[in-house]
Amino acid sequence: MTFAAIIELAVNGLITGILYALVALGIALIFGVLKIVNFAHGEFYMLGGYAGYVAVTLLGLHPAAGVVAGMAAVFLVGAAVEKTLIKPIHLGKVERADEYAIMITFALSVLLLNLMLSIFGPWPQRPQAIFSGVFEFGPVLLPGDRLAAALVGAIIILVFMAVLRWSWIGMAVRAVSQDRGAAQAFGINIDRVSTFAFAIGAALAGGAGALIGPVFNVVPQMGLVLVIKAYVIVVLGGMGSIPGAVLGALILGQVESFVPILISDPARGMAYRDAYGLVVLVLVLLVRPQGLFGRKERRA
Amino acid sequence: MKLTAPSSFIAVAFVALCLMLPFFGLPEYWLYVVSIGFYYALLASSWSLLVGYVGRISFAQAAMSGFGAYVALLTSAYLDLSPLPGIVIGALAAGAVGIVVGALTLRLHGAYLGLTTIALAEILRITATAEHQLTRGTRGYAAPPLWEGISQTEYYYVFLAVLLVSLGLMLWLLHSRIGLFFQAIREDEDGAASLGVRVTLWKVLAFALSTAFAGLAGGLYAHFIQLIAPSMMSMQEMGYVLSMAVIGGFANVIHAALGGVLLQLLLEWLRELGEWRLVFFGAVAILVLRFAPNGIFGTLDNWASRRAR
Repeated sequence: MTFAAIIELAVNGLITGILYALVALGIALIFGVLKIVNFAHGEFYMLGGYAGYVAVTLLGLHPAAGVVAGMAAVFLVGAAVEKTLIKPIHLGKVERADEYAIMITFALSVLLLNLMLSIFGPWPQRPQAIFSGVFEFGPVLLPGDRLAAALVGAIIILVFMAVLRWSWIGMAVRAVSQDRGAAQAFGINIDRVSTFAFAIGAALAGGAGALIGPVFNVVPQMGLVLVIKAYVIVVLGGMGSIPGAVLGALILGQVESFVPILISDPARGMAYRDAYGLVVLVLVLLVRPQGLFGRKERRA
Repeated sequence: MKLTAPSSFIAVAFVALCLMLPFFGLPEYWLYVVSIGFYYALLASSWSLLVGYVGRISFAQAAMSGFGAYVALLTSAYLDLSPLPGIVIGALAAGAVGIVVGALTLRLHGAYLGLTTIALAEILRITATAEHQLTRGTRGYAAPPLWEGISQTEYYYVFLAVLLVSLGLMLWLLHSRIGLFFQAIREDEDGAASLGVRVTLWKVLAFALSTAFAGLAGGLYAHFIQLIAPSMMSMQEMGYVLSMAVIGGFANVIHAALGGVLLQLLLEWLRELGEWRLVFFGAVAILVLRFAPNGIFGTLDNWASRRAR
């Protein structure tokens, strides 16, 4: 294997890793603030893909506007879902809250997936990418559509991290995720912060969907495989940890890029591509359930 | 569940109706549909055995059904067995996987357990797809009928018998001391342990029973539809099972089973609506979870007992 081929694998792994990070960050943020795992996150990502498709292909807007449309549409969906289905948990209106949260988000994913299947049909759609063609960096060739998705994705991640780190609302979000009661005592409106955090987490997935749509097509099932990888990432990084989610995503991107070539039978190595992360997930949960950055709890 | 509860009347009336159904001169097609309803009823009730009574969530129920089906077909093909011993081996193998998974995940709760079981289910589905020289991948693996010249009516009664015996076993277990141990673990694991309940044993046993019933359902289903594919292990199938158990009422195995048959009938009856059916079921499942967490049959029982008082 040549050096250029190794660089190409590493860069492709980095591109996938950035897009994984976008989805995983939303799950981590939602878990951090609301202490629930959103099992409909893959469908938020898929909704973003369709919002981008509607904006770019059907309305003829610029592909960059498609990403904005994806984020905005899924932000609104996320806010509505939080207000109607998730808020009752924190108001103490549901029994056995853990199972309620898991099952209701799973049922929501069934609803959303089949809703899009009914409206747009099972056919793959491919909206236009921000830029296309092939870019040459010495001996390394990179497809432009992937590069565009990764660059915009990286910008979104950096803006998100900066807002979380330095803005007032970012501080409020971090305060609520550390201690709901204390945050409330200091005058933070935890209702609004919760809705905002859920909606932003959803919007990140929506943005990722709109970015990936032009690369891998928009189909109703597009979230199924990806979201499971995002779960792997947040568990690996430590549930609710923001740096953990980014690091976990970059690690998984590289694992998926390099492990297939380490397996002697290449066809089989590719066929199992989606399973490597799952093995990582099971190992982390069994050996170190708090993940790389998570806080250790007595009950994992 | 008291025997005077309306859902018990519904269940008894339903069983009576099911026993006589083939004599009503229905087209064979509807016997086929109801038989598949029995398959989902067994899956939904075995899922609720774990979720409703022990409080442990699993997203691997459809995958374990598929696993049981593949093991049943492959062992009977390679060891040259007839279908029946194959189905038993499939169910036992699924139960064995349940023991391993149950033991490995003892420390995990709630969402973490959900994620681990999703990972397990997907690993199984991907393996069944990737090992196509063994399973023929997405093209599907053909299965022989249960026995030569079996009729639709005979299939129907086999399914009904397996469902009723399985439900009987589950109910017997849940009404014994073990059922109380399960519920004690659900309500307060540490409290139960401090009172001498062998928490580890019963948690693993619950997992193993739930997966074994799923494997049994899968093996039987494989010889019924005679072609299985990795898609029977998908998260979409799991979505069906979850909606059925939730809408019927996952706190009670009978309610979950009724939900399974009811939804399968509705799915078939509303066929021309296409995927809108699943949009509708997803919405109903959400409404039920939010406003009537005991499911439609559980809520009916609560309402009746409140009126009787």
